[in-house]
Amino acid sequence: MDFLLHLGVLIAIYTIFALSLNLEVGYTGLFNFGHVAFFGIGAYTCALLTLQRIPFEVSLLIALAMAGFWGCLLSLPSLRLRGDYFGIATLGFGEIIRMIFQNEVWLTKGPMGIPGIPKPVLFSYRFASLPQYFSLTLGFAVLTFLFLRVTLRSPFGRVLRAIRDDEVAAETLGKNAFRYRVKAFVIGSVFAGLAGSLWAHYTTFISPGDFTLLETILALLIVVLGGQGTAWGPVIGAVLLILFQESLRLLRLPAEWTRYLAPLQQMIFGALLVLLMIFRPQGLIRVKGKGSHA
Amino acid sequence: MAFLFQSILNGILAGCIYALFAMGLTLIYGVLNFVNFSHGELIMWGAYFLYFLMEKPLGLPLCAALLPALLLTTLLGVGMDRAVFKPLRKANALTLLIAALGLSFFLRNAAQFFYGAEIRTYGFEIRRGMRFWGMSITVNQVAIILTAVVCIVFLYFLFHRSALGKSMRAVSDDLELARVVGIDSKRAILSAWVIASALAGVGGILLGLDTNLQPGMGLINLVKAFAATLLGGVGNLWGALFGGIIIGMAENLGVLIISPGYKDAIAFAIMVLMLLLRPSVLLGRGRD
Repeated sequence: MDFLLHLGVLIAIYTIFALSLNLEVGYTGLFNFGHVAFFGIGAYTCALLTLQRIPFEVSLLIALAMAGFWGCLLSLPSLRLRGDYFGIATLGFGEIIRMIFQNEVWLTKGPMGIPGIPKPVLFSYRFASLPQYFSLTLGFAVLTFLFLRVTLRSPFGRVLRAIRDDEVAAETLGKNAFRYRVKAFVIGSVFAGLAGSLWAHYTTFISPGDFTLLETILALLIVVLGGQGTAWGPVIGAVLLILFQESLRLLRLPAEWTRYLAPLQQMIFGALLVLLMIFRPQGLIRVKGKGSHA
Repeated sequence: MAFLFQSILNGILAGCIYALFAMGLTLIYGVLNFVNFSHGELIMWGAYFLYFLMEKPLGLPLCAALLPALLLTTLLGVGMDRAVFKPLRKANALTLLIAALGLSFFLRNAAQFFYGAEIRTYGFEIRRGMRFWGMSITVNQVAIILTAVVCIVFLYFLFHRSALGKSMRAVSDDLELARVVGIDSKRAILSAWVIASALAGVGGILLGLDTNLQPGMGLINLVKAFAATLLGGVGNLWGALFGGIIIGMAENLGVLIISPGYKDAIAFAIMVLMLLLRPSVLLGRGRD
């Protein structure tokens, strides 16, 4: 039962993370390959603040603001670029943020990581046990899902899709594509920060090694597996991928195998991305009509 | 003062290697019009192929292992194109880039699967460098500069004197037009992959000789190569050379001021600065 709840928590967190990436990649057509940076910024900010005995509600809000702020800071110069340049700029940013976690020892304790992150207390209710934490993450995942769904069905969301499908046409109609992209990127970063905060308080220990390209690849794989630009795609993708990733734990393989198993698993993730792109780029769920479905 | 000259020398040395990466990246960009995110993995595997040939059970000496290592890297590059990028020639940019990123992740973890995440070296003894004017340079480092210069001269003659090089430049300028005038574009694309992967392999081996090997070296050098490409102007081969040397110098002079932990971040900072200061230059060549 505990294992199922553990799966549930991870699925909920990765659903939030992937939903936020889907807003950027699937709906807005932004090639964000450094999404892990905002996950990490959220995780570190929220963890460090709660350890300073700042209430969780406040820490979480500041963490989200930090993720959004950095998202804005990164996107302002780099969103003026063509798609693949933007991709490499974000990829580089993801590496830089990890370098900061590693080198600013006074703040992040460097490679030692931050232990003992307390369980969150929200409105004087402590989410300590596994069922409690599961309900917390599930609640946030549902809120994220609903918020993004409402946003994407609003006129704002329609403009995002219009820009993705035909930027020139959208600009002709007086929509400033750059501004809309920045807004989408900031919203995406904020929700990645939320996923990161929830993750930090779940594992109670974070270190720079947790925020590598692997996390970005996972989120990207969840999005393209489920179906980019679909509402339920990231949810289905997260369920499938987390089940696959965590099922290896059930096998109880000898410890010395992990040296080979971890890279092997990541090779599978990489190969899966390539194969999906070649044979089924639309993912499991197809967008109904042409780019009009929210 | 000698310290400063030493940093400049180290910068040129690193810059020559980055230039080789950047020239390959920009060559593929020119011909196929996409940033090959797995270019870094060609660099990394180039270095590891040499390691594979020099270690047991093969245990070849360096000079005998060099050519086979480059051949393997080239095969990897051409194989990459055949297996992944060729089926995606008509795909949209996002599909292509996600596939390239997935491929890069696959190849990086393949290296980690076989060789682990730890740092490795080719196991040469550390030798005292030759000293002149208060600077120190090792035999390996002299060889690095010479190799880079030979590669660059070779490329110059290839692109400006040979028919093959001219056909590659033509395809890079305008694929359709090149086809209309009867240039064999498939051959030009294949040659571009061969040259780009060989350059990545040479650069990776030189980097491995000068520093060390680890599976993560591909990604960080991809960012550096890209920053060099931006500095020199995308698709511009000689600009890439210039950009590589600037990045190498900036890194080695930069660590005199900031913490060495951020050495790899300098290329990224230059890239962002370029984006802020001269965005118009970068937007010159549009896709579609």
